[in-house]
Amino acid sequence: MTKYGYAAALTLFFNSAAAHELTPTYPEVKPSYIDGVSIINMKMWNRRNDAKYYEINVYDKEWNDIPFASTEKILKIDYLEHKNFHIYLRDEDTAMVTYICTTSKQLKQDVQSTGIKSRICSRVK
Amino acid sequence: MFKQTLTLGAISVVCSVAAIAQANNTPITGNVSSKCSIFTDTIGVYGNPTPDELSTKTADGGIDPVIRYDVTVADKYKAKISWPNSFSTSPSLSDAVNWDGETTVKSHSVTGMSAYEAAKVEYENVTEFDLTLAGSTWFSVESEATYGVGKSLPGGEYKANVVAECIAD
Repeated sequence: MTKYGYAAALTLFFNSAAAHELTPTYPEVKPSYIDGVSIINMKMWNRRNDAKYYEINVYDKEWNDIPFASTEKILKIDYLEHKNFHIYLRDEDTAMVTYICTTSKQLKQDVQSTGIKSRICSRVK
Repeated sequence: MFKQTLTLGAISVVCSVAAIAQANNTPITGNVSSKCSIFTDTIGVYGNPTPDELSTKTADGGIDPVIRYDVTVADKYKAKISWPNSFSTSPSLSDAVNWDGETTVKSHSVTGMSAYEAAKVEYENVTEFDLTLAGSTWFSVESEATYGVGKSLPGGEYKANVVAECIAD
């Protein structure tokens, strides 16, 4: 192991870091049970103890918003909770969908001096 | 007697074989799929070195926020980190705030990641890094806010957000 490896291992051991994860990296668009509507299945894992709300956004390759439906536009995910969510899109929009992102939304009282807003984007290929 | 011993022996052998078979039939499976995780490693703190300035630099009494990116598969993600250019919380300000900042690679788990710093792309308040290797990278974000010209920042609470993005290629 290199000195960087030891440093990384030690830092991992001593720091209580918190993370935001979104999978899969490359989701698939599938037909849904509703005629003319497609579905994308995603999964989130909240390991940030300072954030429990995450906003879902869908964009084309130029980062323009694409209309979609989901049970919640802002997901409430408690610390260490996994959540599967579904994104419903009109069939005519599926060819344009490129990025599916979740962005942390922190409550004002939870932000310390500098807060960290995390955003992870998966890509539909 | 001999027959009874033989039967018990046979049952014992069958049970042992079954136990071995059972012990061998407990697989653990795993799968490492492409994934990016953003960790808030260190929460930043603004220091107030002069009445008109807030800064996260250690020399100014602040703490730089540190963000860790973990990627499980190489060359699948890009990191985009933006230093703040507005306050999310502040007292009422009557003059302009000039923002500055810098995002740098602080540490990494793989030697080759040291090249990220030279290859970074900066524009406006954004810095982009191509995460070409699998592993962990720590990024340090410096932020400075200077108020007006020769004016003191009003007393109160100041908060700003660093935006850390991980975008699939």
